[in-house]
Amino acid sequence: MPERTHGFRIDEQKCRGHLACMRACPTQAIRVTDGKARLLPQFCVDCGICLTACPSGAIGAITQSFAELDKFKYKVAVPSPVLFAQFPVGITPARTILGLKALGFDAVWDFTVELALVNRAILDYVEEWNGPFPVLSISCPVIVRLIQVMYPAMIDQLLRLQPPRELAGRELKRKYSEELGLHPDEIAAVYITPCQAKTISILKPAEGVKSNLDGAIGISDVYNDIVALTKDLEKKETVAPPKGPACSVEMLRWAISKGQGNTLRRHRYMSVTGLSNVIQVFEDIYKGKLRNIEYLECDACWGGCIGGNLTVDNIYVTLSKIHRLWSDLPNTDPRVDAEVERRYPIEDFSLKGEVMPRATGKNTGGLKERVKRIKTEEAVNKMLPGLDCGLCGAPTCKTFANDVAAGHASQDDCVMLSGKRLKALQAMYHRKGEESTPEGGG
Amino acid sequence: MAEELLRKTYEVHGRDFDKAGENATEIKRVLKELNIDSMLVHRAVVIAFEAEMNVVMYATKGTITFILTEEAIELEIADEGPGIEDLEMALTEGFSTATNEMREMGFGFGMGLPNIRKNADDFDLTSEVGAGTTVSTKVRLESNA
Ligand SMILES: Nc1ncnc2c1ncn2[C@@H]1O[C@H](COP(=O)(O)OP(=O)(O)O)[C@@H](O)[C@H]1O
Ligand SMILES: [Mg+2]
Repeated sequence: MPERTHGFRIDEQKCRGHLACMRACPTQAIRVTDGKARLLPQFCVDCGICLTACPSGAIGAITQSFAELDKFKYKVAVPSPVLFAQFPVGITPARTILGLKALGFDAVWDFTVELALVNRAILDYVEEWNGPFPVLSISCPVIVRLIQVMYPAMIDQLLRLQPPRELAGRELKRKYSEELGLHPDEIAAVYITPCQAKTISILKPAEGVKSNLDGAIGISDVYNDIVALTKDLEKKETVAPPKGPACSVEMLRWAISKGQGNTLRRHRYMSVTGLSNVIQVFEDIYKGKLRNIEYLECDACWGGCIGGNLTVDNIYVTLSKIHRLWSDLPNTDPRVDAEVERRYPIEDFSLKGEVMPRATGKNTGGLKERVKRIKTEEAVNKMLPGLDCGLCGAPTCKTFANDVAAGHASQDDCVMLSGKRLKALQAMYHRKGEESTPEGGG
Repeated sequence: MAEELLRKTYEVHGRDFDKAGENATEIKRVLKELNIDSMLVHRAVVIAFEAEMNVVMYATKGTITFILTEEAIELEIADEGPGIEDLEMALTEGFSTATNEMREMGFGFGMGLPNIRKNADDFDLTSEVGAGTTVSTKVRLESNA
């Protein structure tokens, strides 16, 4: 069931065979055959760029709904720090928490402590690590998948620590099952997520073990309700915002992909955001460069998680809100420090399971066969125009040559090599033009 | 003789530090695509990279010939350059005639040739002063040394 393992679905009915998604995909995971986009799930890293690129609204994120959570006795929201930075003045983190509760959550888990624990664990990890360098952050599921698919040689460099959200899931189940006398399985830990990639990382973790979280709901799915509900709450006046930490400077730093910069102050640290930038840096690492960097924090979204595709505002507005929040928050909180001191020595933060290279089907057959495939690919590539026009249904001439060598495409699919292909395309796309109405757009 | 499956030749230009290492990277890409064991890829890439760097640093120009047979990854790096006077000395760990400028770029710690020898199953170094240097190596596909 490849569909279940990815955060997206292409709606065949709505797809009009524009090549936008195919061209935008950073891992060449989309082909367009017979006028319809098709996903090659083994190459998909769940980045969501196709979703934004599609002019027909044919690609949708797989999301979860509140109804799916009904089977749980106690529901706990675990909001990404990005959530707190979405709202207008007046809807403070404390009020946001009230809003989540009004939405139907029994509790809201602020993971400031787990974040501080992980920051500390990362410092120890980096100081004990003997290489290869740089150590790569694991928090962004797209980056983990990118490494599985395109840079399997770098898997050993992935930080083998659980992200804070996973530790939060574990701790809140421990705490509430003890306090309420419930079985941990009766408690739902629900991440309020800035992107669908984290949803899929919870439903289908890359490291192959069960997540400590039970699901995820997009920030954009709760935003309007929280705004409306907090307005009502304001009128009631009776409900006091909760005491204790709600969001923190460290949480916000994490949300803009600068989470470890502070912790690793005395170490060589680098932060990269935006998938194309990350790929550029990974290419350098692959070539043996950047070995002097000890820790690389990397996020697929531009600007960090605040750029996630389930957020509400653009990153600059969000950054400005973070700036404002920042000034209201204390730099340190003695209660958090005390919790960290208590929990750090007794908890295990290591990643459960192993991240393995993704089987992409490229590596099948014996050595002779593989050499033959490479030679065919090179021979086909030489005949191609190198225009990357995409009319064959593959994003680049090189990818097409690869497809032909693997037997997935015929070289007659290139319009430069076969007049038949051009005729077929004219028939297919012309007829479509007549069918669609002017307001169809795109 | 084992059957030759693939042969590629790359040109290397002396002093071109900007492009230095690109051929080794290309060889790595091909070996990876062929799903060769990553330990073997690593050894071949160290050889290709160090030898390529030596051409860039010390010679005028050269070629890297990469041959894959059913039995081994063969790499031959031949250059036109000053040659090496004392081969024993050049193969000593830590011996280097690299300039300070090269060291600042992160090269020239005298470990290149020793590491090439260490990573190769078969190793041969020949040189003629005033003419050039040739490094020939084999990494056997069966080996795990
Ligand atoms: N291709 C070459 N042409 C001329 N001299 C070379 C060549 N390769 C190596 N040498 C000489 O051998 C020395 C040792 O080489 P190597 O072990 O690679 O260390 P390094 O390059 O760090 O100096 C070099 O400093 C140089 O004097
Ligand atoms: Mg050298």
